[in-house]
Amino acid sequence: MVSEATLKSLHPLEVKALLFYDGRAVFDAARMQKDLGLVLGQCNQAISWLESKGYLEESERHTEVFYERTELGARYAAEGTPVERMIQVLRDRGPLLMPELASAAGIEKKDVGSAFGQLSRSGILAMDEEKRVTLGNPDAVPDSVVRSLLERSAEAPLADAELTEAERETIQGQARKRGASTAMFRIMERENVRYRLSESGRELRTALAEAGLTGDEIGLLTPEMLRDGTWRGKIFREYGVNAPTSRLLPGRRNPYSEYLDSVKDKLVSLGFQEFDGPIVETEFWNSDALFMPQFHSARDIHDVYYVKNPTHIREIGEPFLSRVAAAHENGGDTGSRGWGYSFDRDFTRRLILRSQGTVMSAKTLRDAAVPGKYFGILRCFRYDQVDATHLSDFYQTEGIVLGEDVNLRNLLGLLKMFAEELAGATEVRYVPGYFPFTEPSVEVHIKHPRLGWFELGGSGIFRPEVTRPMGIDVPVLAWGLGIDRMALMHLGLNDLRELFSSDIESVRLRRRAG
Amino acid sequence: MPKIEVYRDALIRGIGAKKLTDAQLEVLFPCAKAELDEPADAEGIMKVELNDTNRPDLWSTAGLARQLRVYRGGDHPRYSFFSDTTVTRESGHRRVVVDPSVREIRPWVVAFVMSGPPINEAVLKDLIQTQEKLTWNYGRKRSSIAMGIYRSDLVAYPVHYRAVDPDTTRFIPLQMERELSMREMLTEHPKGRDFGGIVADFPLFPLLTDDNGDVLSFPPVINSAGLGAVQEGDTTLFIELTGTDMDSLLHTASIVACDVADSGYTVEPVKVEYPYDTPYGREITVPYYFQKPQSAEIARISKLLGRPLGADEIVQALHRMGVVATRTGESVLIRVPEYRNDFLHAVDILEDVMIGCGMDSFEPEMPRDFTVGRLTPLETYSRRVKDLMVGLGFQEMVFNYLGSRRDYIERMYPPEEWDAAAARAVEVANPMSENYAFVRPSILPSLLGAEAVSANAVYPHNVFEIGKIAEQHGADPSGTRTNTNVGFLTADRGAGFNLVNSRVSAILYYMGLEYSLRESRDRRFIPGRAAEIVLAGADATVGVFGELHPRVLEEWGVQVPCTAGEINLEGLLNDGDGSSIGTS
Repeated sequence: MVSEATLKSLHPLEVKALLFYDGRAVFDAARMQKDLGLVLGQCNQAISWLESKGYLEESERHTEVFYERTELGARYAAEGTPVERMIQVLRDRGPLLMPELASAAGIEKKDVGSAFGQLSRSGILAMDEEKRVTLGNPDAVPDSVVRSLLERSAEAPLADAELTEAERETIQGQARKRGASTAMFRIMERENVRYRLSESGRELRTALAEAGLTGDEIGLLTPEMLRDGTWRGKIFREYGVNAPTSRLLPGRRNPYSEYLDSVKDKLVSLGFQEFDGPIVETEFWNSDALFMPQFHSARDIHDVYYVKNPTHIREIGEPFLSRVAAAHENGGDTGSRGWGYSFDRDFTRRLILRSQGTVMSAKTLRDAAVPGKYFGILRCFRYDQVDATHLSDFYQTEGIVLGEDVNLRNLLGLLKMFAEELAGATEVRYVPGYFPFTEPSVEVHIKHPRLGWFELGGSGIFRPEVTRPMGIDVPVLAWGLGIDRMALMHLGLNDLRELFSSDIESVRLRRRAG
Repeated sequence: MPKIEVYRDALIRGIGAKKLTDAQLEVLFPCAKAELDEPADAEGIMKVELNDTNRPDLWSTAGLARQLRVYRGGDHPRYSFFSDTTVTRESGHRRVVVDPSVREIRPWVVAFVMSGPPINEAVLKDLIQTQEKLTWNYGRKRSSIAMGIYRSDLVAYPVHYRAVDPDTTRFIPLQMERELSMREMLTEHPKGRDFGGIVADFPLFPLLTDDNGDVLSFPPVINSAGLGAVQEGDTTLFIELTGTDMDSLLHTASIVACDVADSGYTVEPVKVEYPYDTPYGREITVPYYFQKPQSAEIARISKLLGRPLGADEIVQALHRMGVVATRTGESVLIRVPEYRNDFLHAVDILEDVMIGCGMDSFEPEMPRDFTVGRLTPLETYSRRVKDLMVGLGFQEMVFNYLGSRRDYIERMYPPEEWDAAAARAVEVANPMSENYAFVRPSILPSLLGAEAVSANAVYPHNVFEIGKIAEQHGADPSGTRTNTNVGFLTADRGAGFNLVNSRVSAILYYMGLEYSLRESRDRRFIPGRAAEIVLAGADATVGVFGELHPRVLEEWGVQVPCTAGEINLEGLLNDGDGSSIGTS
């Protein structure tokens, strides 16, 4: 029983071939070309499809010989064969000595001898008493068979079966199987296979007839058909919906930046306002304003990138500079005893590449609203050897919450919400942490359904030495989240460098994992 | 963050426990902000990471054990060898005499002696590790704190600390067989190469000798091979610290003294005599307790921690952290432990209260304040442009911002323009490698970098990025500015000016902007096939686009014609005034 799906999957060419040939007919592509009025390529295609599906079986096969014109043959066809040229020269200039004839006709001397031998036997050429070559008779013409063969073979090789006996004899004298560069024709042999319908082919033929399919069903519906209504009463060819699709190259967002956007959107929906800032920063904002002492080990030359030129900002705005300097030196009016060293006001102007997103949290304090919530996803730069887990520039996600009454429990509440909302955590654990700019400091570790336990981020309450110089007297909760690990999981990657991939093909193929 | 090696058995003994599993240790560690980095190896040594850079007292087996022991309810240790403003302990013949010559070079020295059972390998190893961690991390690679350990039995007191001529003073340094001058040590001894820079520029170098003139050491560089060659089996060690900050030295000396006392050694004070003033007088007997009491308001602790805490609960929490506290009126007053100096502000007390109470005692609670969230105007604007680029068939890319001079400058411009282009760019003064030596001045090199590695990707290639670039900019106080740009590139047989022009036109139409074009002489593009965008009513150029010059494509090994462009989004957003983010 032939299924409907099988019938639908047939191409109109297959349908036509199946309907035309009954079980006894034997055919090949050339035959089909004549029978169905198609072009040869279509016939070859129809035969190859039908054969691959087992609807055709081989009936007979035999080797056919073809003669293909070589490059030399093509040149002779254009410029004349040596014989043609010799006759032309003799006709133009009269009798010539053998060497003169060779050079005038542009032929090697040794070739002139053999050509002469051949032509004198057929009486076309002769030699006079002065050993000069002359035309055998004034109307002598070269062999037209060669010329005809050369010209007929220009488009496609000549089939041996279609040549006359004389042509076959001539062409065989001019053709080689290999090393054909010195011959006008190359001999090629091709297997020709003739087919007939197999048993399943015959079965299918019957089914097609029963279904009333002709191969003339409408394929593409055209504007013309709609305009003149010729579609009416016609059958539409049914397509196999499971046929393979072709690939498209759509315009598309990058899944990593799309993920970052989703984090931004989530934070905005939670009442956070976004901040952004320059990638070139000062030591002042990058570290001093965060109460990291200027001798802090993380401020070493090997931890931040310094800008070569210009080296310093002209000035740090007041009153921030004086207040921060005082906080470092003796605490100023922050209630702290400070770090007890002499604050370097030149060093603080040094330009660097932003090394932590917290810079913008500190800067935002200058004109932050109370209550207020702020965040940023910011590109930061670190002096790190680049590998699967370290990049020299990468994104950090940071934020702050200001409020008269915000406290540690609110901080834990925020972290819990981030863990659940942004990371899909199933369990949350808080651990005392350390950051130079927060006290107390808390790390949040989460249990992710797929990644297991890992540190999601760090947080704390900004030290008064950080907030008071910025004119803020209320507590400020500060947090930073490591979302790269989740981004990698999100995209099914395990190398941070892949997030910033330059490989267009891999970016095109990338999609959310799971 | 320091990572230390700890003998697991010694740690468990120090904690005062019979047996603790690694899992139990990991539950306990957070009270010291410690993390188990590697479990014990075959020799019983485990690795522990300590996260608090203000708690150097935790960077040793004894110090870590002390915190964990007390937190589990063990008694506070009592140290009876500290002098302070009111009490001076007996120092006997153990004296260090400071010469005025060191005042401008390395003014401070403190010292004490430890004695007791013969030193074994484990004790010596721990002592040397403590020395290394304290002087490297806390002492900023010995520049502010250096520490030396000597065989006290062989030392003829008083010890003398003075500055001497580095060329004529010679002794045999540790790990060497022959005598060198102090200056020769700077180049010929590995420690001299590591630490010599701290004193190299001074005319005289600091030196410690005993009363016989035998050399103890050349601080902060290297001990002598004689008095400074401590061995297993020694029973009495002289420990000194030199440096530039008296409080840090006293604090470090206290940490080491408390550690050795906890390990069962006796600490014998040493008197240091200065010819000039110190913050604690001209004679100072070490170990010396210099910390001042700190207080925090009970109401403030409760408010910031988010739940009502009574004075008793606070005092008990602090007790678990090893801090003795008493209630005085509405505040608690703490006595800072001898081995700590991290109470800069009342909030530092607050954190110890938090840890002492245990994190579990604070129930998470959401902030109650209502606030309005929003993206920056630039982000909102960027997203509109991204939507258009995607609609025009472009794939968004995300690139790194650091790259090489070759990629950002030399591959983009003809050689005669290299210097000018480099002079506009933001260069890193201390690059880790020349591959990350410049901040990108344009998105185009990033896009070409992608094209250069993507010849295998089906064409056409239409890629874009919205991201930041930085360049020098005289008008900003920082001399630099950061811009947010959209960059786009098409690589395809037949990619030409007309198509990119149409796309730019579509973007600007949908962003609601009137503009005109003028021919661009930007040499990254083919002359006559590049245009600058000028918004209506403005003078400044907000972008450029065109057919990339074959020289540029050849430089990148790109064998398909490309069109590209870059437009400054702040410029579009602000109607063409070209403003951007400055650093001030």
